Amino acid sequence: MNYWKEFAKGIWKRNPQLIVGLGFCPTLAISTSISNAFWMTVGVTFVLMGSNILVSLIRRIAPSHLRIPIYITIIAAFVTIVDLSLKAYQPAVYKSLGIFIPLIVVNCIILGRAEEFAQRNPILPSLLDGAGMGIGFGLTLFVLSFFREILGSNKLFGFTLIPGMEPAAVMILAPGAFFTLAFMLWGMNAVNSRKRNR
Amino acid sequence: MIREIVKPTLTLAAIAFISSLLLSYVQKYTEPAIERQKREKLAEALRLVLPGFTVGEAHKVPIEGSEFTFWIGDRRSGQAVEKGYAFITGSPGYGGDVESMVGVDEKGKILGLSILDQSESPGLGARCVEVANRETLWDCLLKKIPFRDHCEEKRIPWFQIQFKWLDATRKIRVEKRGVWNPDMRPRLLEDNAISALTGATITTDAVVRSVERGTARLNKALAMRLPDREGGAR
Repeated sequence: MNYWKEFAKGIWKRNPQLIVGLGFCPTLAISTSISNAFWMTVGVTFVLMGSNILVSLIRRIAPSHLRIPIYITIIAAFVTIVDLSLKAYQPAVYKSLGIFIPLIVVNCIILGRAEEFAQRNPILPSLLDGAGMGIGFGLTLFVLSFFREILGSNKLFGFTLIPGMEPAAVMILAPGAFFTLAFMLWGMNAVNSRKRNR
Repeated sequence: MIREIVKPTLTLAAIAFISSLLLSYVQKYTEPAIERQKREKLAEALRLVLPGFTVGEAHKVPIEGSEFTFWIGDRRSGQAVEKGYAFITGSPGYGGDVESMVGVDEKGKILGLSILDQSESPGLGARCVEVANRETLWDCLLKKIPFRDHCEEKRIPWFQIQFKWLDATRKIRVEKRGVWNPDMRPRLLEDNAISALTGATITTDAVVRSVERGTARLNKALAMRLPDREGGAR
């Protein structure tokens, strides 16, 4: 098994949002600032790696018709760990991410990776798969929030860019997220189709 | 029968048991930190909404079926002793209750407001706790302001500053004036108004409503306490 390939596929070839089309809810909702995107990525990557390891560990003993409730229990446990740790050690981040931390439970990427990968593969590839998918998720979030933060709140990394300028509020609202995501999908598809044609 | 019902039940129960065991440990480790954060937040909020006041213990009275928490503080100014009141109030916003602490003086003038808890949308309603920073990214890079200092500096969020000196006994109006700028203050004070959060009218209204409701409750609570304070029966 090619470990590097398992890790790297999440970044471009099987990017969770742009290619597979999963996890749009947090992607659209949280990408208003880079700091939100960063902490969301940390949370999701931790849960992804943890749940992938555990799912892979119990893949032979878990009855297959019961796997969904089992996965959800495991994922919920990891999300609670993230929730409690952020609340205890990063209260400002916890405050600004709000409801989207508990909502990691229903992030389809995590359940998707458990279903598609971890339940069929040994621990190490599952771990790498989780890490790669988490980073891929984070990169999409980063690009999206980079543009939305600049255009929508006239800021970058929380610092004002042009003092006194009224930012385009539409970019911080839901439509802005869809516009930016559309451009990203367009770019991604353009590159991929050019690759195929060659 | 046993294969179909008992075994899956046991498997699921075992996994739930292990998960909760793990979580109870995590909670044990994080609880002191969370409690400390909460206490610090409360003490800091009290300092913010009643600046310069000596604040006593929290009073809790049931009003309209829910618990109302308030503090009484006093401050010396010359000969007289001023009294100040702080209370906790909340009102439903876009994503659950927006809870804040408000400090008022005897005449009902707001001395400060601090939002304690909110789960509003990031980038919109959640901007009610955003700190307005005047330095741009370029300033920070060129003048070499230490990055960490800048980020950790605790300044009062601009949305909350607006409530200072407003009259809580009168209606607080909401005006749409776009990006916050300290120069707007005199006009807003004249109107007893605040500038709304762009794209988050619901959050803005929730905070304003909670101030109005909290002031009404504070008056009720003080009226309830008045007899035992003056009669000195206790």
